[in-house]
Amino acid sequence: MEKLNVTVNGKFMSVDVDPELCLADFLRDRLFLTGTKIGCGKGECGACTVIMDGKAVTSCIIPVMRAEGSVIETIEGVSDGDKLHPIQEEFINKGAIQCGFCTPGMIMSSKALLDRNNDPTADEVKEALGGNICRCTGYVKIEEAVMSAAERMRNGETSK
Amino acid sequence: MTYVGKSIPRNDGFDKATGLGIFTQDVALPNMLFGKVLRSPYAHAKVISIDTSAAEALPGVEAVCTFENTTNKPFNTSATMITTNPGAEPVRDQRVFTGEPLYIGDEIAAVAAVTEKIAEDAVKLIKVEYEVLPAVFDPLEAMKPEAPDVQPEFGCKEHKNVCGEIVEFGIGDIGKGFEEAEVIVEADIELPRVKQAQMETHGAVASYKANGTLEVYSPTQTPHPTKMILAYALDMPESKIHVQNPPYVGGGFGVRIGLSGKAEILAAVLSMKALKPVKIQYSREEDFLASDTRHGGYLHCRLGAKKDGTFVALDTTAWLNTGAYATFGVELLGVCGACGTAGTYRVPNMHYKGFPIYTHQQTAGAFRGFGTPQGTAVVEAAVDKMAQKLGMDLLELRKMNTTKPDDKNWFPFPVGSVAINECIDKAAEGIGWKEKRGKAQSGNIRRGVGIACGTHVSNAAPFCVDYDAVYLRIEQDGSLHIGTGIPEIGPGSTTALIQVACDLLGVPFDTAVMKFGDTAAAPFDIGSHATRTLYAVSQVIRDAAEKIRKDIFEYAADFMGVPADKLDMSEGIIFGEGKEYPLSRLAYEAHLRGKQFFAAECKVPPNSLPWYAQAAEVEVDMELGIVKVIKIVSAHDVGKVVNPRLCEGQIEGGVLQGVGYAVREEMTYVDGKGFYNKGFHKYMLPTADDRPEIVPIMIESNDPAGVMGIKGIGEVGLCATVPAVLSAVEDATGVRFDAVPLVPGRVIDGFKKAGLIK
Repeated sequence: MEKLNVTVNGKFMSVDVDPELCLADFLRDRLFLTGTKIGCGKGECGACTVIMDGKAVTSCIIPVMRAEGSVIETIEGVSDGDKLHPIQEEFINKGAIQCGFCTPGMIMSSKALLDRNNDPTADEVKEALGGNICRCTGYVKIEEAVMSAAERMRNGETSK
Repeated sequence: MTYVGKSIPRNDGFDKATGLGIFTQDVALPNMLFGKVLRSPYAHAKVISIDTSAAEALPGVEAVCTFENTTNKPFNTSATMITTNPGAEPVRDQRVFTGEPLYIGDEIAAVAAVTEKIAEDAVKLIKVEYEVLPAVFDPLEAMKPEAPDVQPEFGCKEHKNVCGEIVEFGIGDIGKGFEEAEVIVEADIELPRVKQAQMETHGAVASYKANGTLEVYSPTQTPHPTKMILAYALDMPESKIHVQNPPYVGGGFGVRIGLSGKAEILAAVLSMKALKPVKIQYSREEDFLASDTRHGGYLHCRLGAKKDGTFVALDTTAWLNTGAYATFGVELLGVCGACGTAGTYRVPNMHYKGFPIYTHQQTAGAFRGFGTPQGTAVVEAAVDKMAQKLGMDLLELRKMNTTKPDDKNWFPFPVGSVAINECIDKAAEGIGWKEKRGKAQSGNIRRGVGIACGTHVSNAAPFCVDYDAVYLRIEQDGSLHIGTGIPEIGPGSTTALIQVACDLLGVPFDTAVMKFGDTAAAPFDIGSHATRTLYAVSQVIRDAAEKIRKDIFEYAADFMGVPADKLDMSEGIIFGEGKEYPLSRLAYEAHLRGKQFFAAECKVPPNSLPWYAQAAEVEVDMELGIVKVIKIVSAHDVGKVVNPRLCEGQIEGGVLQGVGYAVREEMTYVDGKGFYNKGFHKYMLPTADDRPEIVPIMIESNDPAGVMGIKGIGEVGLCATVPAVLSAVEDATGVRFDAVPLVPGRVIDGFKKAGLIK
């Protein structure tokens, strides 16, 4: 066991962890943040995407100790109490969700993009989502949702 | 209608956008163990000896199950097990574990342990000695007399390695048809295996208790049939088995019609041995290599026409690779013929023969389209050839021959409304057919457009057992509760069906709920497959809604002083003869007097044909052999649109799967090693980065058999993409490919053969 100091969804914690765990398993099995999904376990599908120090990362291939001192945001931390983030609302309203298994990762990749660039081009959106596989939607409505969330964020809306 | 026709956001959106929705992967029970499976490294072998002592001795291991200590009862992991029509017998050729593995990945044994890691280590400690036996991988090779028998017990007598039976049917006189024909063309196509690649891998949590009850969480597309399969295979009463989705399912596309891989039954036998809950979650590699795929194989089509273009004879043969076990082999070859070849055109003399062929590869089963994409690919290739031979326009030749509303075609039900020609026109217009088709080109980058069309079904009746039962109840505050056994695998059926139910009943949507994906929630439902859920369940909801409205109005008559037959209801307000009474109040008044309004219904749905046409635009790099799909316009006769945004989502998602099928995706078999495609880095799924522009078009033809005119949509987005893309590539380059995917190697080879490049 090693001591891990990490901030998850705004809460600092200092916990003993098995250093052999990957970040996704730590989040899911230890903190019960099961919104982060595992689609491949090899960093190839993006279902496990979380934001680590502002960057979208595939948490299933990150050794948990790499999170030492970092700030992690998971899908459970995106909304503010009962107020959904514009990205979440637009995913729901635009029909960007079908089975929903890729959705948390898609939203985290989208948020990492829009947090640094709230006026992306269509190509920038495609690129940001290029590592997230969705087998249901054909991506059309996901890209629409991101564009429309970007517009709302430009107008000053966030959940926090 | 208040709700039907509106893009109401799906009611599971909140759960799924917040990460709060629970999938099988997220289920954890007290005292739970983790299961791992030992799979055969050989395509065909016999286990000479198996020694599990080291595995059993590993601390943390609580159960080791093998073919030697586990039930050996044959069954079928797919829903065909319990949906084969009376008089016919399902092929029961699978067992939980086998001592004679028939493909690389076949289950030999499994271990349950306190952690996943220990279970994995224990699997490695099982010592197995195999005698490797001869194997055959290609369906045509497998039919040769010298080929090894894959399933000697289940092969048909006349043909080597044909599973169950040959599927053969027709109308008219095919010989006479070709005699009458003035022009005859032939087309061939070779299609790959492709994988559903649903985002949540197969998995299950099973909890067997010593009192003889079995609780199962799984992502099955068919909770009730899964319960029946488990009861049969494990010799348990169905009443003691409870199967539920938790409730969300990370995609299906056909791969979980019946068991999810084999996860439910593997977890169940381990749990029965350990008397503790057991969770099995397939790795992505296991999901790719040890669960059903789409059928690949070969198809041949012969089409005869008069000089004016009238089709007079159509004869198609399919040889598809069903792999080591039957699952849906026989049924799929039937749909390939019925929907893929017999449905689209009026041809007085039609014949089809389909061979589901056993090989020593992993099993092929259900994948969105279920044979229709295969049949459509070869028939549409033949139609293109016929147009060229006759010097006719591709669109006109199709439109003059498509099925018309009053036709009696092969299907054993009325053809219903038919808007296929409108689909062809809209798809062609959307792609810019007039301006773009047939433009002579030179240079390295060439563009072309192509088209294809077809039909499918809106459920599986009357071809197999297919029915639903639901119950509706009005809660004591007037809100609607619907109990169904359907799952929600992604399309939004559980939102669209509430829209339909609220309009049929006249109650508000906001307070209505549906309980789903649970065998304890409602009586039997066949589940989500065959483009059926919205279409078929709305049929049974309509009948139940009529009953419950009658009950409500009879009860309200006394309270309102208005005869029941003068009453109607909208948005939860009962009204008639100028008076109004809220359902919320009536429901509570009824409650005070010991009454609840509820109704149950059970029925076999009618069937309706969802027509479609798809136009593709491609860009071909002649030097590098890269085929890029730029745009797909997909026009669908959906009967009636219930939720436009959800309906578009079905089309868009289907189209991209079709594009993957046409230009990227393929399971590649390497002799002795098995399939190469063990994960997403070796199986090329389309991503956001490289998707084409997708234009969904929905045409409302108001089908006479559908509730409010509804037809199905779920599977048909991908059924015409392969032939549409092949047609477009031919337009761009002059080369008609007769195999997919159009990866650079295949494209370059094709150009070389055609003499376009050296």
